[in-house]
Amino acid sequence: MHRRKFSPWPYLLIAPALITILAVVFFPVLNAIFMSFQSYDLRRPSQIRFTGLANYATAMHDPLFWQALLKTVIWVAVGVGLQFVFGFMLALLLNRKFPGRGIVRSISLIPWVTPGVLIGLMWRWIFDGNYGVLNDLLMRLGLIHDKIPFLAQQSTAFPSVILTIIWQGIPFFALMLLAGLQGIPEELYDAANVDGANAFQRFFLITVPSLKNTIFVTTLLRIIWVANSVDVIFNLTEGGPAYSTQTLSVYVFNKGNTLNLGYASTMAILLALALALVAVPYLKRLFKAQEESR
Amino acid sequence: MKRKLVFILMAVLSMVAAAVVSAQQKPVTIVHWYWADNPAYSAQMQKIAADFNATNGRGITVVAQEYPWDGGAYSETLFRAVIGGGGPDTSSFKLTSTPLFTANKLLVNLDDFLAKWKDKDKIEPSLYDTMRKASGTKSVYVMPWNTQVLYVYYRPSLFRKAGVSVPKTYAEFLEACKKLTMDTNGDGKTDVYGFGMRGAKGGQEPWGSFIWARGGNFDNLTTPQAIQGMQDFIDLYKNGYAPPTAPMDGFNEIIANFKSGKTAMTVHHIGSSIGMVDTFGDDVDAFPFPGGVGQWTSMGDTENILLASSKNKEAAFEWLAYLATGKGQEAWCVATGNVPVSRDVQQLPFFQNNRFMKVSIEGAPYAGIFPILDTTTEWINTIWPNTVAAALGGKMSAADAMKQLQIGLWGK
Amino acid sequence: MSGRRRSRGRRFPRTVRFLRALPGYILLAVLLVFLLFPFYWTFVTSIKPQKELYGSTVTYWPTEATFDSYRKLFSEYNFIRPMLNSLLVASVTTVISLTVSLLAAYAFSRYRFRGRKFFMTLFLTNNMFPTVLLLIPLFAIMRRAGILYTPSALILSYTTFTIPFSIWLLNGYLDDLPMSLEEAAMVDGANRAQAFLKIILPMLLPCVVATGAYVFMTAWNEYTFAVMFTNEGNRTIPVALKNFIGQLGVEWGMITAGGIITIIPVCIMFFFAQKRLVEGLTAGAVKG
Repeated sequence: MHRRKFSPWPYLLIAPALITILAVVFFPVLNAIFMSFQSYDLRRPSQIRFTGLANYATAMHDPLFWQALLKTVIWVAVGVGLQFVFGFMLALLLNRKFPGRGIVRSISLIPWVTPGVLIGLMWRWIFDGNYGVLNDLLMRLGLIHDKIPFLAQQSTAFPSVILTIIWQGIPFFALMLLAGLQGIPEELYDAANVDGANAFQRFFLITVPSLKNTIFVTTLLRIIWVANSVDVIFNLTEGGPAYSTQTLSVYVFNKGNTLNLGYASTMAILLALALALVAVPYLKRLFKAQEESR
Repeated sequence: MKRKLVFILMAVLSMVAAAVVSAQQKPVTIVHWYWADNPAYSAQMQKIAADFNATNGRGITVVAQEYPWDGGAYSETLFRAVIGGGGPDTSSFKLTSTPLFTANKLLVNLDDFLAKWKDKDKIEPSLYDTMRKASGTKSVYVMPWNTQVLYVYYRPSLFRKAGVSVPKTYAEFLEACKKLTMDTNGDGKTDVYGFGMRGAKGGQEPWGSFIWARGGNFDNLTTPQAIQGMQDFIDLYKNGYAPPTAPMDGFNEIIANFKSGKTAMTVHHIGSSIGMVDTFGDDVDAFPFPGGVGQWTSMGDTENILLASSKNKEAAFEWLAYLATGKGQEAWCVATGNVPVSRDVQQLPFFQNNRFMKVSIEGAPYAGIFPILDTTTEWINTIWPNTVAAALGGKMSAADAMKQLQIGLWGK
Repeated sequence: MSGRRRSRGRRFPRTVRFLRALPGYILLAVLLVFLLFPFYWTFVTSIKPQKELYGSTVTYWPTEATFDSYRKLFSEYNFIRPMLNSLLVASVTTVISLTVSLLAAYAFSRYRFRGRKFFMTLFLTNNMFPTVLLLIPLFAIMRRAGILYTPSALILSYTTFTIPFSIWLLNGYLDDLPMSLEEAAMVDGANRAQAFLKIILPMLLPCVVATGAYVFMTAWNEYTFAVMFTNEGNRTIPVALKNFIGQLGVEWGMITAGGIITIIPVCIMFFFAQKRLVEGLTAGAVKG
């Protein structure tokens, strides 16, 4: 399939996507990038002027920026990591045949179907330090004696929001990996059984390698998504208490809402750069894996 | 010949008259954006608009569009729409957004309209002053609509149980917080907290009373008096007179805690009184936040604005006037229980016989607002809640916290 | 290992099979409880009367259930409108997004051409930028294009942001399907398009369904663009739900009822779609 002659087809096939995106976001993104080089604060429009790298310098000296960056790293690593693990488990379990499988699959989606505002409200309510059901359950089980104000303490707020994002993300991985599992031929498993492979070997030697590309892509996408996600945290804690749940995307969101767009853009670009740093090794491995599986 | 001339003259005159009349009655549409605190209030606004449309006799049709309050993000949504070239003719508004809108020249100067307005004096002059101050100019850019004066709700039954009477001074108030924290069932855990403290966004309003009570003010938050007020606030939490969830408690939580009997006192305004009476009947009452060295309570506000991008400013002002002193004022304030800005409406029996209205009026002389600067919105939304949460959690001293707050608001 | 039969199933009696599968089912049950408990809690909250919500003991089933909120949702509030709007926007977004993305994903997977890696990376970076900063220029663009306050504004915005991820997802799945199948078909005389439609697409169907679900969910739950680009006539569900949170607190009954009403139809729709999720293998081509 690998011919050197030029074919216009690939370009034609990607054209609709490319045109849509360029037509809509190209200028806004460019605009946002320019704003990062200006003192673009709509609260003081008369003071808007070109300031070069001043915003970037401010960000470097801003302790909240670094704290937010650290929080983002933890947020993504733990959040996506555990979503992936449990989502994979769920995908494997949903792949089996059992009565009512269709219904179980459909209802597993519920965390993903739930609108962000409701996720925030319901989990706020569940975590509530006075009337929350989580406290109630823990007390009934005898695990705690006093109610824990989960979202009001700096020590427990961040783990709580991470729990919520894990909850929200499990169906995504379950669904995507389940779809990928369908593409693995049954013969491979049968052959492995003949050779006496046990469950672990089947999993790591057949399942995982066959899903390599799917795994790479879904985790990369999810990393970008979770890193940029604001909804869950904002509806739960708005970044508090005492900035303990403020990831970089939430910081950008809060700044953006004060209409200090120059500084917000600067941090957004820094976040994008950080994500790019993470994506580069991923992409390298991904492109390599693509060549190998051809 | 003469008759023909007269005839032509009359024809011309009547055509001119028709043109003039039709010009005045050219149908005009005004788009009005608003937020509503629940579907019933939203329906009320729609009804007010419909009534106005039916009765204004000037061919003005108001189309009222509801947008989510979204914790205050309503103002940003409005701003983005107007700056993006769209947006409505008029809108509900919060005074704290004034600097953002005036800096970008988005509001209409209402001085001329007010000068020609016959009902102008039905509104307290001090309110107009507040509007002027918010814009940082000598003109009025924002039209008053209704206000809420914050006071302290309390439970008479709990007061009796603790042997506490209504505090008349700040010192008595702090003492009451302590006495009202009780263990009612003997299990060693607090069942009732004295004060339903609000640590989330919006909590700066009750907090302000503490600062002023000690003799501080908002011009300099780092004075020893202001710091003492902050320390009192922190101590209430540290000593367990406020629920442990206080740092993140917002409106929902303080009202829930009060309604469930978990707290004996909490600060809010008349807007929630209807719900309170529903829950408690007579076992709920209010008193104005007492004074110490100084006295202050927060004046909540809602206004309306006329946007410069409107193509029908005269008609738009008619609508705003209807809301401020016309039938619209009465209808809205009766439905929501808010304090009317129109003195006529204030005199109605509905308002005069309401005990919460009385307390609001008692507090009015020393009701005020935070400084309206271009930093205010960010200060209220992010800086105040997070800094106070750190202080309450023991991670920051009162002095350091006040320093942060000072820098956040005034820049130095 | 002689004597081992190919199909494990016939070798062991049912009880043993069941016991071996049991840990899996227990794990499944635990996961499901974790995923579904908040939904259950949302439902219970929607039928509890107000005073029970703030009672001193937490009740797991209301002492007196009230379906008032559901009634109000449809009679006083007309929640059907936002539901239909959301359905329209999400469906059209899904169709357009999938079509466009499938074409591009195929190109990226099956061709090697100059600029391939560049364009793939470009699509990826598109989504790295927070939308809050793009709101004002996008609003201005929509207004000038005259599509503001119509569903088209949302559809256009959503497709712009779902296309890149869809391309990457579909590309990932396509890469996992070896090219040998198409090559075999083309050797037999089929052209690329036929090979794609007859061989690949059926096998790709589960993946298309999964990606379609992703696009649909994204459009269904999106709030930031929806609040700026719609007015009351074409409001979508997330904005309608936000209206139940005012300055004076949350209309718990209404918002949870609205949430439940939102979730159920989508799950039902997915129930019918998910049958496609397992059909991939039976297309026959693989065995050949």
